[in-house]
Amino acid sequence: MFAGIDIGDTNTDIAIIDSQISTYKVPNNEGLNNALKKISPGGRLAISTSQALNEIITGHPADIRTINIPGPGLVYPDAVKGAVSHRGDIIEPIDPEEIKKIMKGQYAKAVAIAGKFSVRNDILEKQVYDIVSHFYSDEQISISSTIGALNFPARIHTTKLNAKIKRKVASLIKKIHKVNPDFYFVTSTGGLISPARVLDNPMLLYHSSPATVANGAYYLSKNDNCLVIDIGGTTTELVPLKNGKPIYETIIIDGLKTLIQAVSATGIPFGGDSCIRTELCPFRAGSSRSFGGSEPTLTDALNVMGARIGDFERSEILDRTSAENAIHKYLDTVASAVRDYQPEILIGTGYLAHYLLSDIAERSNTVGIVPEHAASANAVGAAVSKVSLEVYIHVDTERKRMTLNGMAYPYKETKDDEHLIAYATELVREIAMNEGAPEEDVEDIKVLYFSSFDVVRGWRVSAKITDMILAVAPGISVEAL
Amino acid sequence: MTCGIVYDPSYLAHEQSSSHPERRERLSYSLDQLEEEGIFDLPQIKLFLPKPATRDDVLLVHTPEYLKFLEDASINGGIIDSDTYIPRNLIHDALLAAGGAITGADAVLNQEVTNSFVLARPPGHHAGRSHGAGFCYLNNVAIMVRHLQRRGLRRIMILDWDAHHGNGTEEIFYDDPSVLFCSVHQYPFYPGSGRFEDIGIGDGKGYNVNLPIPAGSSDRVYKYLLEEMIIPLADEYMPDAIAISAGQDNHFTDPLTGLALTARGYAELMKEMCILADSICHGRIIAVLEGGYSMEGGLPYTNLGLIAAMAGLDLSAIREPEIYQNLLKESISEDAFPQVVKMISELKKKLAAHWYFIQRY
Repeated sequence: MFAGIDIGDTNTDIAIIDSQISTYKVPNNEGLNNALKKISPGGRLAISTSQALNEIITGHPADIRTINIPGPGLVYPDAVKGAVSHRGDIIEPIDPEEIKKIMKGQYAKAVAIAGKFSVRNDILEKQVYDIVSHFYSDEQISISSTIGALNFPARIHTTKLNAKIKRKVASLIKKIHKVNPDFYFVTSTGGLISPARVLDNPMLLYHSSPATVANGAYYLSKNDNCLVIDIGGTTTELVPLKNGKPIYETIIIDGLKTLIQAVSATGIPFGGDSCIRTELCPFRAGSSRSFGGSEPTLTDALNVMGARIGDFERSEILDRTSAENAIHKYLDTVASAVRDYQPEILIGTGYLAHYLLSDIAERSNTVGIVPEHAASANAVGAAVSKVSLEVYIHVDTERKRMTLNGMAYPYKETKDDEHLIAYATELVREIAMNEGAPEEDVEDIKVLYFSSFDVVRGWRVSAKITDMILAVAPGISVEAL
Repeated sequence: MTCGIVYDPSYLAHEQSSSHPERRERLSYSLDQLEEEGIFDLPQIKLFLPKPATRDDVLLVHTPEYLKFLEDASINGGIIDSDTYIPRNLIHDALLAAGGAITGADAVLNQEVTNSFVLARPPGHHAGRSHGAGFCYLNNVAIMVRHLQRRGLRRIMILDWDAHHGNGTEEIFYDDPSVLFCSVHQYPFYPGSGRFEDIGIGDGKGYNVNLPIPAGSSDRVYKYLLEEMIIPLADEYMPDAIAISAGQDNHFTDPLTGLALTARGYAELMKEMCILADSICHGRIIAVLEGGYSMEGGLPYTNLGLIAAMAGLDLSAIREPEIYQNLLKESISEDAFPQVVKMISELKKKLAAHWYFIQRY
């Protein structure tokens, strides 16, 4: 059994897939526990939480204290002593007193620690972590090495965001653990990740809804090349699929690059809960009237025009002209965005897809399909996703050092590049399988990048340095197909 | 200021042999450093992919016979001298290096960036019209300078601060007043040339300025040369652009040379050149990598320092790791500075007939 949960802005969607697909919608105000109880233990549970976290991430700048260990090079704020070389050698030590002094009288809510080249050796970051942990709990401290990739400024920024949401993610994990001890999260690329690994890099959960929608729409429609339109409570997301896969892009937050990839999507700030004042407004002011809210919304407008969603009589407060105008505004806005993609076919998901997609398709001169269970496609997408991993690997044969996403792994002598790749692939496969990935899902481990060069000292080759990126690509689990 | 960086992963491809000092390892740590500093994400930095030079570009400088020799030897391999073998397919890498210099020059001339730094390999400044030497095959900087002139610029100043004398470049422009060639180099040293007495011939007399300096010369010496000769020369010559043969083997950790410049010294030198270029030639500087063999202790920091200076970034943390401090102390010679002062006064006598700034005093 596969179960998927998508915690949206209004509802929590649940999908359970065994011999057949069943989907449910539970209003968020009934609480997460209620939703979790619908799922019998024993199967695999995947949770997409993006909405809850997006608000914290894009919300007001929290008071995060950053401690950076830049060593020689460009100038960075909040710098302390210490340096790691590009080879991963500790070339300058940290000064524990300096860190303690920073920590004393510190009112920040969380601490982000980032060292240059820490992905080649995380010892200095860990030393700082040990000192900081006398003042803060683990759930308030993030380090940068586990992010894996080079790019110190982007790592600093990502670590800061990680520190901002880590506590919330940790408490969510605890809450879910009480009901269902064995579960995964869905990442922003649509892969599954264990809660333990999430805590190393919580930003991987950012904005996962386009990814779950992409996986769900593909699973339900089996359409390789299309534009998915997910009509949610407060937004409508357009997610293009090419060859059955979404497009990935680097997330930029507050104008700064992060080291997090996400499924590319165009967000339109209107959805079923968008309220109608004089016209359709790009925000939510509570639930639709037909679901007990006080102000009329796009959903209520649809009811006025003949739909029967929820307690539709409560929608009648809205006059017919305003309802028509609101729906036209919505359709025009979405259709204009759709035309930019020039899609051959539209796949509609979300609970209003049945009511709106054919009009959107008509206005953008294309055809639309709303597959069965489209209302909870995001939860279906979470349920059928597979464990995915992207691992940055650095190997230095002289230092006998091998790091995978910044963590030291046992070094092994290998004959040539081919053997080294084979060994690294084995390690990556082990990590994925330890997280519970079935063997079929980790058969195809891709080498996304490979580069190696000889180190020569005294006119002879003294070592070989290799950098590579291996990945278990996100997508749909073989078991679910 | 925006700085263009010309780089392509194939700049790592060229290797005469895996243990030759001019090998791919030279740039590998530097690129790690640039990537880790997020250089390519900065708004002040723009990355350009090099386009290979054409035969016509090369023939602006080199003889058809020499180009043919390189092309032929690139098929099965060949030899120029004991340091300079021709590995198979060399011509492809050499054309991409020369073409990179042209790409960098075009980016500046087209006003896409203020200045550019070409991270090309193999280097070029020992290559003359009809011969290669000292790890060099095509003279990247000379080809780029002729290209600039082909695009309408009249006078170009070349500052060659590689630790070795740029004898190839000197030979190419020795009789040419439209190119002011100025080389700072360790002397006596490979390739043996570069005496301050060699000031050019014919119309080019006075437009070839050699600044030979002894081993142990430090940041102070370079600053002195800059103030005493390089800036006044540029001020009077009023070039339309400045080309820099940016050898980074003057760094005190370099295993092949004996000079004692620091990463910060390099960066400050470049910063001064950028200020100079701003005041006389719209900031146009095209720097092209030449030598530099201190892969771990030198190049990552000097390359970063140069780029930081060219992009107008804060240079205050540009330095080597502290573990090299003792080596720096050992590398600096106190005798070097007075020797250089003496050399400059002799050089001024030699050049006085050609430069007004010298006559004034």
